Amino acid sequence: MTSREQLAWTVVGAPAVIAVLVVLAPRRVVTALAVAGAFVTAGLALALSVLAFESLSRPVVGSWIVVDAAGGLLVAVVAVVGLATVVFSPGYLAGVDGSLGSPGRRTHTYFAVLYAFWAVLLAVPLVGNLGGAWLLIEATTAASALLVGFSGKAHALEAGWKYLILTSLGLGVALLGVVVLAAGIPGGGVAELSWHALTTYSSGSERALVAYVLLLAGLAAKIGWAPVHNWLPDAHSEAPPPVSALLSAALLPAVLLVAWRSEQALAPVIGARAGQDVLIFFGLMSLAVAVPFLWRSLPWKRLLAYSSLEHMGVIALGIGFGTPLALAGVAVHIAAHAVAKAVGFYAATPLIEHEPRATERAVTGIARTHPALGGVMGVSLGALAGLPPSPLFVSEVLIVAGGFQAGRSWAAAATALLLALGFLGLAHALLETTVGKGRRRDAVRPRGLRTLAVLGGGSLALLLGLSAVALWLPGSELVDALLKGIS
Amino acid sequence: MNGALLWMLVGIGLTVVVVRRRSVAVALVTTQALILVGVALNDAASAGDVVAAGALAVRAIALATLFLLLVSRTRELRPVHARVPPLVRAGAAIAFALTLTWLVPALGLDSRDGDRAVLALVAFGIVTAATRRATLFHVLGIVLVENGLALAALELPGGASLAIELGVALDLLLVALVAGVFHERIFAEFGAGDSAALRTLRD
Repeated sequence: MTSREQLAWTVVGAPAVIAVLVVLAPRRVVTALAVAGAFVTAGLALALSVLAFESLSRPVVGSWIVVDAAGGLLVAVVAVVGLATVVFSPGYLAGVDGSLGSPGRRTHTYFAVLYAFWAVLLAVPLVGNLGGAWLLIEATTAASALLVGFSGKAHALEAGWKYLILTSLGLGVALLGVVVLAAGIPGGGVAELSWHALTTYSSGSERALVAYVLLLAGLAAKIGWAPVHNWLPDAHSEAPPPVSALLSAALLPAVLLVAWRSEQALAPVIGARAGQDVLIFFGLMSLAVAVPFLWRSLPWKRLLAYSSLEHMGVIALGIGFGTPLALAGVAVHIAAHAVAKAVGFYAATPLIEHEPRATERAVTGIARTHPALGGVMGVSLGALAGLPPSPLFVSEVLIVAGGFQAGRSWAAAATALLLALGFLGLAHALLETTVGKGRRRDAVRPRGLRTLAVLGGGSLALLLGLSAVALWLPGSELVDALLKGIS
Repeated sequence: MNGALLWMLVGIGLTVVVVRRRSVAVALVTTQALILVGVALNDAASAGDVVAAGALAVRAIALATLFLLLVSRTRELRPVHARVPPLVRAGAAIAFALTLTWLVPALGLDSRDGDRAVLALVAFGIVTAATRRATLFHVLGIVLVENGLALAALELPGGASLAIELGVALDLLLVALVAGVFHERIFAEFGAGDSAALRTLRD
């Protein structure tokens, strides 16, 4: 076993162990243990990412573990968002009283389930086997549904239930795709479905295409691609804000990576164009469904949820176009979306304290009544809208250019048009939310605002850094590695 | 697997779509799973196959216990009627199953009848979840789909793997357990395990 494989097991094992320790720990140390454990977990995961980026030409590709460029990128994203989620969780827990579990062990339950979810989430980009990936994705459903419904309130129960049932049914369809693939792999058996083995599928391209469509249709329900996205706005708006950040910024792209790996692995069997067509279909569909909602006046977290639908569509399009330019855009988009979206969700906790009506309706003029909070929300929404110099602007330009480079002019043009419409909707929301006409609000100083302001400043610097990286990325070794995939 | 057993599995699945009582539906999906256990044991060629069949059996019994416990702890004061009458549900389920069979080419399982039975059970599970109001039936729909997939795994030319069988069983138990937590809280919050109460979040 190489050092990277050992580290990969440690990265997944550390949060799993901390989940157990959190359950056993006395109440007074649970939060401190959780926060300290988050730094350890994120540190290990980031070390693995650095190793993955340092060895782009020599990825670890085994039957059960993969450490490659795409996996390294996703592990870094899951690590950073997971760390920030744990850090912001005490602020959320201090402001709520209900819970799904016993009230006396509310903090234990929250952190134990959060860590279990984080452990599984870190494993998804590292798994080297389609069957294993399916198992891990299904496991994320169980853990994250508990977190979505954690407050135990009626709306949270509704959102958690929809999420659990719809994604489980979707994953059932995906498993049917996995079984069909297993039937055509020499040697048989679902355990033999390593990413490498998928290239040896030998029961005909038509059957492989059916399996691929079933697999992607099922995963789409989990990624939140339209038209099977119904749970997404509800779950992301009703979950605790730090959990919404982890769901949107880490879970969705991590599952999307499994769809991407499947497309790359099956391309020699079904044809690269057929596999990409399916991704482009889901991408355009998601953009087209999201845009009208971005034009509407929605509560803050619901607006961010529809923006997730839009951005998962953009990433699907980038992967579907599959050119070096588009994949450079995808890499930047995954990282920048994670930063901007997570900051937006973290801002929701102080926002609700400052303006309790924010859970029910769109809020306006926050920067007038609370400049720091309004500023952080503005950074998030401005970046998500793709307002230059946001890295999401650069990544979207790269993805559209990649579409033209791939000879998919119609899809690229439709993408550009839909992105422009989405930008207008979010730009309007940005102006209204920050400097629009706001009502008078009490001068309550929300909890955790200093942490948020620090994170907001750090995120702004990170986003600007990503913009610079985005300009350098096309033609880099990282893009070559993403293009090559696991081959 | 012989045709009579496949028909029996499909027939049980269709009965779940139309049956009114939750406890009867639980008994039906459990019977279906135990039939699959019997087939798995009959076809077992190695110790691993026997353990995989054991995992399927544990899953079936654990789920039945969990569901019956939930039924007994959440007695409905009034029946939760499905939003679609039983005959229409059955018609929709059969039509969906036939459409899937027509649309999806051979899956590559041991027999074409096996392919059709798997697709029918997946269709019945989805229709059950989509047309029933009682929350427990949503979960039973998922179990029906998973029973169909367990059948597919048994009909794989190379057989399914032990690790994956155990993993799928564990995942399904986890999902059912979480669904049980939600079902009880929904019952406590709304006074019934009725998904009609879960339609307030809209744009």
